[in-house]
Amino acid sequence: MHISRIQIRNFRNFHDLDVKTGKHLVIVGENRVGKSNFLHALRLILDPSLSERSRCLQITDFWDGAYPLTDESTIQISVDISDFEDDEKQLAVLSDYCVEHSPRVARLTYEYSPKPDLESTPSKDSDFDFQIYGGDDDTREVTREFRQRMPMDLLPALRDAESDLSSWRRSPLRPLLDALCGELDDSAKESLAYAIEQATKAIGETDEVKELGEQISKAIVSLIGPNHSDETSLQLVPSDVDRLIRTLKVFIDDGTRSINDASLGSANVIYLALKLLCLELEIEDNVRDHSFLAIEEPEAHLHPHIQRRIFRAFLNPRKHLVGSTSDTKERNPNRSLLLSTHSPHIASVSPLNSIVLLRATTRDDHRTTIASSTAEAGLEQKDVEDIERYLDVTRGELLFCKGVLLVEGDAEEYLVPTLCKQLGHDLDELGIAVCSVSGTNFMPYVKLLSSHGLDLPFAVITDEDPQEGKDCLALSRVKKIAEFLNPDYEYSDDVDVFFAEAESEGIFVTEHTLEIALFNCGRPKAITRTVEELTSVDAAKERAKSWRKETESLDAEQLLKDIGKIGKGRFAQRLSTRVLNGTCTSAPDSVKNAIAFLVEQI
Amino acid sequence: MPIPPYLDAAKDLEPNKEQWAAYQSEGNFVALAGPGSGKTKVLTTKLAKIIHEDIEPPRGLACVTYSNECARELRRRLKKIGVSGSGRIFIGTVHSFCFQHIVRPYARLADLDIAWPIRVATQNEQNEQFSNAVSNTLGPDQNPYDWRFPSMAYRRVYLDRGSTVWKKTDKGCANIVEEYERLLRNRGLIDFDDMMLLGLQLVKKHDWVRSSIHAKFPAFIVDEYQDLGVPLHELVMALCFSQGEKNCRLFAVGDPDQSIYGFAGAQPNLLQELSKRNGVGTETLRLNYRSRQNIIDASELALLEDRGYRSATKETGVIEFHGFPEGLKQQAAFIASKLVPSLLKNEVVENRGDIAVLYCTKYEGDFIADALSEAGTEYLRIDNNAAYPKTILTRWLEDCAQWCMSNGGNEAPLLRSIINDYRKLNNKLQSERDRIEAGQKLVRCLMRHNNTNEPLQKWLHTLATECLFEHLRADGTQDQEIANLEALLEIASDDGKISDWTIERFGGQGGTPEHLNLMTLHSSKGLEFEVVILFAMNDGIIPSYRQTKPEQKHEPRRLFYVGLTRAKTEVHITYSGKRETRYRTRTSGPSEFVAELKERLEK
Repeated sequence: MHISRIQIRNFRNFHDLDVKTGKHLVIVGENRVGKSNFLHALRLILDPSLSERSRCLQITDFWDGAYPLTDESTIQISVDISDFEDDEKQLAVLSDYCVEHSPRVARLTYEYSPKPDLESTPSKDSDFDFQIYGGDDDTREVTREFRQRMPMDLLPALRDAESDLSSWRRSPLRPLLDALCGELDDSAKESLAYAIEQATKAIGETDEVKELGEQISKAIVSLIGPNHSDETSLQLVPSDVDRLIRTLKVFIDDGTRSINDASLGSANVIYLALKLLCLELEIEDNVRDHSFLAIEEPEAHLHPHIQRRIFRAFLNPRKHLVGSTSDTKERNPNRSLLLSTHSPHIASVSPLNSIVLLRATTRDDHRTTIASSTAEAGLEQKDVEDIERYLDVTRGELLFCKGVLLVEGDAEEYLVPTLCKQLGHDLDELGIAVCSVSGTNFMPYVKLLSSHGLDLPFAVITDEDPQEGKDCLALSRVKKIAEFLNPDYEYSDDVDVFFAEAESEGIFVTEHTLEIALFNCGRPKAITRTVEELTSVDAAKERAKSWRKETESLDAEQLLKDIGKIGKGRFAQRLSTRVLNGTCTSAPDSVKNAIAFLVEQI
Repeated sequence: MPIPPYLDAAKDLEPNKEQWAAYQSEGNFVALAGPGSGKTKVLTTKLAKIIHEDIEPPRGLACVTYSNECARELRRRLKKIGVSGSGRIFIGTVHSFCFQHIVRPYARLADLDIAWPIRVATQNEQNEQFSNAVSNTLGPDQNPYDWRFPSMAYRRVYLDRGSTVWKKTDKGCANIVEEYERLLRNRGLIDFDDMMLLGLQLVKKHDWVRSSIHAKFPAFIVDEYQDLGVPLHELVMALCFSQGEKNCRLFAVGDPDQSIYGFAGAQPNLLQELSKRNGVGTETLRLNYRSRQNIIDASELALLEDRGYRSATKETGVIEFHGFPEGLKQQAAFIASKLVPSLLKNEVVENRGDIAVLYCTKYEGDFIADALSEAGTEYLRIDNNAAYPKTILTRWLEDCAQWCMSNGGNEAPLLRSIINDYRKLNNKLQSERDRIEAGQKLVRCLMRHNNTNEPLQKWLHTLATECLFEHLRADGTQDQEIANLEALLEIASDDGKISDWTIERFGGQGGTPEHLNLMTLHSSKGLEFEVVILFAMNDGIIPSYRQTKPEQKHEPRRLFYVGLTRAKTEVHITYSGKRETRYRTRTSGPSEFVAELKERLEK
């Protein structure tokens, strides 16, 4: 089972958020965008450890735009849960809360609203109350028992793994040791007790130890007299086996160092491992049916490699479990992770459908946060795999940017940022990522970024690729994208008019190909000199020289062939250095217009 | 770990092979349980075993039984063996099961055509719409009263509305029912039987409803199967026999011989058929822990069946016939001034509460009640002429009164369960804070009024205004209980028939050792008494003068059998030479069942 949709209305940063989600949630967004509030909204419904008092919100929790408050002012948070039908225990708990039946979707709703029969407009905390109900029947209570069956645990951002581990009360080791005490049978306990007794005796009977013990007793007696002093003795450990087991601790480095000596990173890893074991134990013991484990900033203190390794395994149990048996896989499904993170390392190894992007925008002059995900982007499985691989390699750049320029290949990836810089737009500063789709199959990325998916501003720059006596190759490609983005619009049959119309959707066609367009837009020198510099073909050098002298004589196909021999990427790399060092600010219209379009959108 | 108390109870079952087989059963099982055979003990112990050993939380089980009273008794017995009602254990009537666990959660999801929120018609609203239905379909000259029972039973027996059987068997009833339901729906109402019928409809129609119920309640336990009729039987078929892997496990107990609700649609053969089904284990519980052997033998003679039931004791009981030349008054006077005093004097019984006077209808009940009042004997009356109907609310009020009387003594109902039951009267969602406040208010109110000699009127009034009316109205579906409360306040007020009652008297209505028990034969089902007095066993009363055909006499015969089998040590049967009706007095002798039994016993 997993959370499949979250709706938040009028709560803190959120005016009206509605997002569909996948098995896990990896929540990405800038500081102060409301990641913690997002998790807190879920806690109101799912976390049994929240006290009744803190579960009741306050009027200051309304979204800024909700003031002044009226009789109708309501904070509403609802969580949809799907994929639980095959587990009869989960079905038993959720079946009465369904809002859809085939397949079943259960909905849990938290509502904070004015009490009925108020005499005046609600204005203070005591005028409001909350309720949590299931399904669409606001008389069907979601009880504490329910929250205990499928609880949400939160590991907050400012957790102190080290001190939690050494405090018995908070240690995640405690339930594990408690369970161990219950499992040991009496004869095992007896033989353990015997062994310990022997060891204790052996030490205790050493003359030196005895002597020290007596000295201590004497010292105490001399302080407060024989009547008030407690009897003391020197012992290794308590002799009661249950108590003994509860003193067990995790050691590192072959038992030579305790957790207190571990690095923050190791302590965090150990803490996490123990926490996960506890959750599994509770499910095995049938204390709960599912766990929602929320971790704020799971990257804290972890080396990037460790982050990638841990969370790749967590979030993709089937694909990436390293060094574990199939047994682990069997036990995993009853757990969903909810991570809020700034770490590109974690985001980049997350399954695409787990990503939830939080973004600030304004509504009615008030800041509000909206969310987007890819759950409804309509991506095919193979596209998903391609994009996940892309995110992995680029460290999730797409997930942390404000806008994207989609380009065809390596050449553009080098050249476009440089050209933009010359035009006065620093892409890094703007938070714009240039993403090469390695070819001309833009559609998966368009789906990903469009309003059906992550809903990020983006522009496409693609080559015209003219063909002798036929329509240019770009025509069908652009048509597909344009029609996807604006299916209701009737585009012109005239190619030039159509390309102009496509620009208002953010699709920009470079005349011929980028290199040729650069040549034609006033950079023949840079192009030809770069060819001369890099090519090993003498004839190519000659051709480059002649085209530089007489730009009209350019044989576009030949130039592309010559560049192809050098390697488009290598050529682009060198060319961009040349462009960067130059002062010329001319660029092809497609690039100029695309960057202007995108800057406008951001 | 302490041993769960039900295992102790199970030890008691072990010496009795038949009970033990039922307790140890796996899979679907039917226990055919003769009178006094420890049916409830088997059922409760088995229920505890299933919930402890076979079902893991959060899944649970559902146990349905005939009436709220039976459910109350089951809950009481289960509490004793350590099973407390919780969210995952349902114990209640078929109606409340269908309403709480089928109609309420799934009706809207299944697009069932009923108004939301669901409102249940009060008795008055039902009567009104029923009269309209009769007059709309058959014309204004018909007496709705004549049609009420037959058409409501018809509605419970022929369930397939699309079938010709429904349309043709009794056209009049079919039309009335359809019109009645239409009128209710137009007003956004459902009635009591709708809860069950709509629930059944949802279960039969939707896979997902059945699998939801199976997920929540993998075991389905039925008590008094023989009285629960076709709807329950079809519910059992749908949940336990039609969904392969997802069949709920069935454990049913009942006794076809004690089927006495045929007029309401019950059919004794359904349980027999079920017990003979493939894949259903069955056992007959023959050992009777209640009655002396000669009383058992007499009851089998009266039933005209040789069941071979054995008594657990060796002692012999008393069966006496008392004929009177005059009418019911004479019989009643004999019971009140001779029979009961002599039973007490001869120490046949220790308390009046060990004696029950059973009769056919409330009409006869009035005779015995008057005679007892005249003789100054305290009694407790359970039939429709009882001072007020026993509903969930009135029962709860009795509990409150008992709590006030006992000052928290051992026998008193737990305050916790009083508060819990109070909360259940209002299903409208409240915040925890409001709920706690309401509970506190109730407790304060009860604590203030714990003087047991306080007049009932005042106590009721305070409780009703401070804690009940608003609470019930907030629920939105409690119109009937609100009407019941108003009626109760009315009869407790200055001119009402129980105006002189105190809290103590009211709290005692749950029964005390000092109260002689008065009830109809129907109400006596499931109960047992040291001494049973069968009153007014006249010709024309049992079987009724209207039941003349042989096939109509089966049920009254079973009713007579039920009466006889309530007794542990003594049965007294009184009859007259005359029979009073509402309109005149007829000459008549003993009931044919009595005459027959007398003759056979003499042989």
